[in-house]
Amino acid sequence: MDDKGVWKQLGDAVLSYDSEAAKKAAQNVVKSKIDPLRAIEKGLFPAIESVGQKYEDMEIYLPELMLAAEAMKSALDVLLPLIPKDQKVSKATVVIGTVQGDIHEIGKNIICNMLIANGFTVVDLGVDVKSSVFVEEARKTGAKIIGASALMSSTIGSQKDIVDFLSSMGERKKFAFLVGGGPTTGEWASEIGADGWGEDAPTAIRLANKYAKGR
Amino acid sequence: MVQLLDVMQRALEGAPMSESDYQLRSFAAKVQEKVREYKIKYDPASPIPNDRSLAKDLFEAAIELVVDVGAYCTDTSRVISYTEGEVKEAIRNAPSRLRMGEGRNQKDFVSRKVGDKTPPWCLLGAGGGACSSDTSFLTLVEGYAEIPETDAITTPALTRVGGMRIRPASPLEVLGAMRNAVLAREACNRVGREGIPIMNSLSTAESDIAFAAALHPKYGMRRSDGYMICCMDPMKVDFARLNKVAVALSLGGPIGMCFGPLLGGYAGGPEGTALSNVAHHMMGLLTYQASWMLPFPLHLRYVSSSSREMLWVVSSTGQAISGNSDILSVNLNYTSAGPCTPMCLYETSATVTAAVTSGLSIESLGVASNRYEDRTTPVEPRMSAEVGHVVAGMKLPDANELAKKLLAKYESKIKTPPLGKPLQECWDADKRRPTTEYSRVVKSFKKEMAGLGVKLRPEEG
Repeated sequence: MDDKGVWKQLGDAVLSYDSEAAKKAAQNVVKSKIDPLRAIEKGLFPAIESVGQKYEDMEIYLPELMLAAEAMKSALDVLLPLIPKDQKVSKATVVIGTVQGDIHEIGKNIICNMLIANGFTVVDLGVDVKSSVFVEEARKTGAKIIGASALMSSTIGSQKDIVDFLSSMGERKKFAFLVGGGPTTGEWASEIGADGWGEDAPTAIRLANKYAKGR
Repeated sequence: MVQLLDVMQRALEGAPMSESDYQLRSFAAKVQEKVREYKIKYDPASPIPNDRSLAKDLFEAAIELVVDVGAYCTDTSRVISYTEGEVKEAIRNAPSRLRMGEGRNQKDFVSRKVGDKTPPWCLLGAGGGACSSDTSFLTLVEGYAEIPETDAITTPALTRVGGMRIRPASPLEVLGAMRNAVLAREACNRVGREGIPIMNSLSTAESDIAFAAALHPKYGMRRSDGYMICCMDPMKVDFARLNKVAVALSLGGPIGMCFGPLLGGYAGGPEGTALSNVAHHMMGLLTYQASWMLPFPLHLRYVSSSSREMLWVVSSTGQAISGNSDILSVNLNYTSAGPCTPMCLYETSATVTAAVTSGLSIESLGVASNRYEDRTTPVEPRMSAEVGHVVAGMKLPDANELAKKLLAKYESKIKTPPLGKPLQECWDADKRRPTTEYSRVVKSFKKEMAGLGVKLRPEEG
């Protein structure tokens, strides 16, 4: 199979939300000695972008978005180790989670998957994440952006704690800090010193693009 | 009869599964399978459908869904399964009547049917919306308690204690939840309705420890109040929630399970969201040992329940539940627009009409997506209740026509709704009434509604 055939295989696997097929297609890339970086750029990215657009247009819903992102991750697990470290695949790494005491995950999952669909590497910390863990993981992974979601009026205070943590460690300038979730607003983001408020997925992606190269 | 220990046993011994597999490969996949199998179809021309077979199919499909996917315990990563017999038994045994409140304010909360002339149970207030201070809290709850149609109160949630922003599961949250209970009772007392039940006990208590602490009788909560526990979407539970169940059961108060399937979320589009909404009623009877249900389906994008698809979800859920069971169900609605705007009042009128004519009761409401502190007043729940009382008994085709006329007034603005004004700018706390500006909005709204055949109480002043 030629390069284009394998790229199509990769894209089709993502578009059909099939992790197994995506892994096999990625193994085909290796077997056929195709440039893995080009395979990602020509096969995976256009497909996941198309899935992201369909989700934005509400032609598909959250499960399809998440399954497509899972398929993409299966292929990346095979391809990324083959790419030299000096060649950049993703726009930036984003560390994201739902704040301490809050177990709501849908909003966070949407943003995670939309970020993946837009070419970011995502480190999903899950829910009920301690403020210090956001910072530690961002350091460990070389992230440029930290995203914190909160859905309860009683839990958004933890977003401020993350800013305090970053400031007290003298690392506030190192990471862009973005907030989101039901009771958050632009005013709240300004009040606590966050760099932006992801009112919805498109806004979150715009902000991530803005800070992809750093704060 | 499935009891709490049975739930715990299954949570400890049920089939292990990852959370992601449960959500994506079990729940989401089965929802779509049932939607296809039962040919459940959303019709934009009928935001309030009149289709008995749809109601029956949704109900049957929901029973099958609960049997197929059960509930999921996130603490043990196991599926809590139920047999068809257990689901049907729980539905049969669900109470159709609960005696709520005390003294002059004691009243029976009863199940309703499609087209029922019985007024909806009016659980009025903020739906847990955030409020910045004790003063705002008291102003709001006094206002809610003074609404003639108020059968029960849904309080706002405090966000600060002693000037500090509440942190989850901390002493601040525990103290905030206790204060929530004390202030709510005090506010009702101040306007002479001390016996009125508080049915979202307690919105400030997200953690199990805060919930348990604030339900101590010394803070004024009673077994004739409603003990509300929120389910994690989709069909999930954890030990903290089951701890709340254990506490509420021990106190003897009726548990209300609230759940908010998102249109666009794990259940997919309107059809799957309606199916998920109906199935959560059944799952709640079993897993959360609930006596009454509080669905609040929301549109993922608009974070409200007033769009055309959402009216269909609310109505078809109501018809499925009320047409096939006596489960007590109270629909909580959210508007996109804020106080002091006509849009907010039309939005709540549309969702309340969908709920009430389809056999549900109402909790009204979350204003401006419940996103902003103090962006709610006693006016919006009062209008919702007035509309709810007038449309009770309305036939579904008439309700559908009314809903379409209401949608025409706001549908084009739902993506960029006006946020209106905060409490302090459109409610006069001393006079216990809306400001002159908001009164004008209300009068104009009532005139428009009368033109649509919905004659509301003449506005004072």
